Amino acid sequence: MKQTFLIFFYLLTLSATSQTIINGNVTDTKNQPIEGANVYLDGTYDGTTTDENGNFSFKTSETGFKTLKVSFLAFETLLLTKDISELNNLQLKLREDVNALDTVVISAGTFSAGDNSKISVLKPLDVVTTASALGDFVGALQTLPGTTTVAEDGRLFVRGGEAEETQIFIDGIRVFTPYVPTTNNTPTRGRYSPFLFDGITFSTGGYSAEFGQALSSVLLLNTIEEPDQEKTDIGIMSVGASLGHTEKWESSSLSVNGSYINLAPYVALFPDRNDWIKPFQGGSGEAVFRQKTNTGLLKLYSAFEFGSFDLIQEDINFSEGIHNKMNNQNLYFNGSYKGSLGGNWSVFGGLSYTYNKSEFEVMDDNIADKENSYHAKFKLHHRFSNRFKINFGAEYFVTNFNEAYDNPFINDISYGFKNNLSAAFAESDVFFSKNLALKAGLRMEYSELFEQLTLSPRLSLAYKTSAKSQVSLAYGNFFQNPNNNILKFEQDLNAQKTAHYILNYQLNNDGQIFRAEAFYKDYKHLIKYDTEYADFNSNYNNSGSAYATGIDLFWRDSKSIKNLDYWVSYSFLDSERDYNNYPIEATPNFVNTHNLSLVTKYWIENWRSQFGMSYSFASGRTYTNPNMAGFLNQKTKSYNSLSVNWAYLISPQKILYLSVNNVLGIKNVNGYQYADTPDSNGNYASRTLRPAADQFFFVGFFWTISEKGTDNQLKNL
Amino acid sequence: MTILKHFILIAAILFTANMQSQTQYEQGMQKAFDLWETNPIEASQLFERIANAEPDNWLPPYYAAETLILNGFTKLNDKSALEAQLNKAQNFLNDATAISKENPEIMVMQALLYTVYVASDGAKYGMTLSGKVMALYTKAEAIAPNNPRVVLNKADWEIGGARYFGQDTQPFCKDVERALELFATFKPESKFAPSWGKERAEEILKDCK
Repeated sequence: MKQTFLIFFYLLTLSATSQTIINGNVTDTKNQPIEGANVYLDGTYDGTTTDENGNFSFKTSETGFKTLKVSFLAFETLLLTKDISELNNLQLKLREDVNALDTVVISAGTFSAGDNSKISVLKPLDVVTTASALGDFVGALQTLPGTTTVAEDGRLFVRGGEAEETQIFIDGIRVFTPYVPTTNNTPTRGRYSPFLFDGITFSTGGYSAEFGQALSSVLLLNTIEEPDQEKTDIGIMSVGASLGHTEKWESSSLSVNGSYINLAPYVALFPDRNDWIKPFQGGSGEAVFRQKTNTGLLKLYSAFEFGSFDLIQEDINFSEGIHNKMNNQNLYFNGSYKGSLGGNWSVFGGLSYTYNKSEFEVMDDNIADKENSYHAKFKLHHRFSNRFKINFGAEYFVTNFNEAYDNPFINDISYGFKNNLSAAFAESDVFFSKNLALKAGLRMEYSELFEQLTLSPRLSLAYKTSAKSQVSLAYGNFFQNPNNNILKFEQDLNAQKTAHYILNYQLNNDGQIFRAEAFYKDYKHLIKYDTEYADFNSNYNNSGSAYATGIDLFWRDSKSIKNLDYWVSYSFLDSERDYNNYPIEATPNFVNTHNLSLVTKYWIENWRSQFGMSYSFASGRTYTNPNMAGFLNQKTKSYNSLSVNWAYLISPQKILYLSVNNVLGIKNVNGYQYADTPDSNGNYASRTLRPAADQFFFVGFFWTISEKGTDNQLKNL
Repeated sequence: MTILKHFILIAAILFTANMQSQTQYEQGMQKAFDLWETNPIEASQLFERIANAEPDNWLPPYYAAETLILNGFTKLNDKSALEAQLNKAQNFLNDATAISKENPEIMVMQALLYTVYVASDGAKYGMTLSGKVMALYTKAEAIAPNNPRVVLNKADWEIGGARYFGQDTQPFCKDVERALELFATFKPESKFAPSWGKERAEEILKDCK
């Protein structure tokens, strides 16, 4: 009897444990019931799913303090620790997860390319498939609104700013000399291969406090973190050849890439307006090494490039033309480490070194430039929650510039400067809800050269106006030291300044994006000098000023017509400047009032071909006609260019690529050059400045060899 | 009653309790598999609860991910819902990988997750993910060359690529046949270890002919 009782007692203990009922109701913050939320006791089997009214109820044999977990897609997981007996009639509210795809994004001023961004305007492939870009990432960005068409230059001119006002960063570290030097009637290209990057962010204003020394714009390029597999890439082009190889190990990888370009055969076939003695030739080598550690990633990137040309260019003042010879060598190294420190802290440290040597011979003048620059950066990131994050750090820039000049009539002279600058920044990201976000930051810079301290506040705010649309505002102050061409002659100056005011509207439909942005830029303390060219004898001051205002529109649609993807950009720009040697405030010659780009890509499945087309229109640019009164008193005719390309996949590993820039052969005009002195009639003779070549043809064959024949050229399409 | 008897009784009860938890796992898993056919999302939630209760077993998070991934193929056009779902599936796969490293079954599942992204927007994800998918299959094949799911899914992916380029799919169809033979002799490691894929292989073979 006693034993039976004991057994009974034991059994009772076992069954008695499944008595408690846990129940309640789950809603969102607006008291709407959530159906299908997963509700359970952490670490046990006990739990259920909420019904259509958000109600749940289940039994448990657990006792004491337990954690109730409520999880649902696109909401933050809720944890509630209480005694089991208190877990009934619960009223639970889930907060929306601000990491979800439909959360508001701070988008004022920013265009991103890549698949990791919620607001990507361009896809990674676009950089290489835009007809007019010819594989240059800068060329692809020139089809976006906010850029102006300065066809003979090729660099990025953003919203009434000069090309030097845009800074380029690789993995967050500054690139000091991003462009290949060219003759003054041939557009330059970005130095770096677009295939090394998997994320591009192009900001046309109002950017983060992390970035400084750029008055107008920043372009952020991120190198690929982990290559997919080992492979060899071979490219044979009408203008040269390239070879690349990627090797992978357990936790590290190395990619090397070399290319050689020689324009001599091309120029022999299609002569251009230059009288070449030695057409452009150049070679480059790039290597990226990546090492994964337990908690982080180390990347080492280095690039070496050389280029040279020798030619005679037509000039109105010299009937025999101007002899122009150039030699350039450029070395760039960039190393960075990104890692997690635990406890929601992460760290980033990076360093870059640039060595650039250029030798120019222009008629009797010999000019040799040497630049040694460094950039070091350290930053910390802390995530308090998904809704509140901070980012702060410090950086140091060193630029050491020297120029040697000689001429048969002047003794050799050399001069230069050191432009060292330290900076600190702090910024926080706050999500008040899924619909309202704020980014606020402050940047402080100290220039050793000017002994000047500057403070730049930055602020952006984004508000979601509907499920698919949002409005953003941005404001910021930006400082930049004058460029090398001024600093080499005069160092007793101050930093130049702009303030940006941006209002942005964005509508994201599936497969369709519309953006409209209005901006106003206020420039102060621009450099002025009192001679025709910046020189030793000029008097310099910081009294210049300018404004730029306008509207940028962008529309992309890859959905309406099957296999057709297209985008249209339009920019209206109104800008006047009083800087350099301007006698009055005037619209500079790199400003077009109207800019329009249309890019289309059409895929024909049966032909395994993509046909691309890009059209660009830009209204005329200003120039000074000395035969009339006034300064920058005339405008050139407008610029038009239509480019087409065809990419044909012979097999998954082989691609044939053909492209023609300015297929209609439109004779564009970049400006006019006038004689220094008038002729006997008091008339200044003129010469039309045209591009070196109206058209450009390109044929390339690219072949990827991977161990298993698996990787393919589809990526390069 | 002696102390020994007490001890035996307590041991027996503890054993029963342990048995109960064993069956609780089996019951839970069985219930989740049954639910899968009618309500994959609820099935995933049940796998999620089991994963929470069984922190050392890679199977519950693996299936919690699989339910979401396969369901993802049915909502390729609802971008934001799909991304939320795949993010959650990715978290489960990360949990499974943390429990069981270098596991070819998990690699196959990771490759399938990427395949959903590629299927939803080829232009956006094709460039970055195609290579990763192939690399995962290659790695899984090196570890388990005779795992029928590795052979099948790799071939399935390669057939897709070959069709796209208008190339011959026959060599890959042979792989599917081989996978089917491997399915015939395949013995799962445990009761709930992955054993799926045979029907898919038969379906693909039909298209091959």
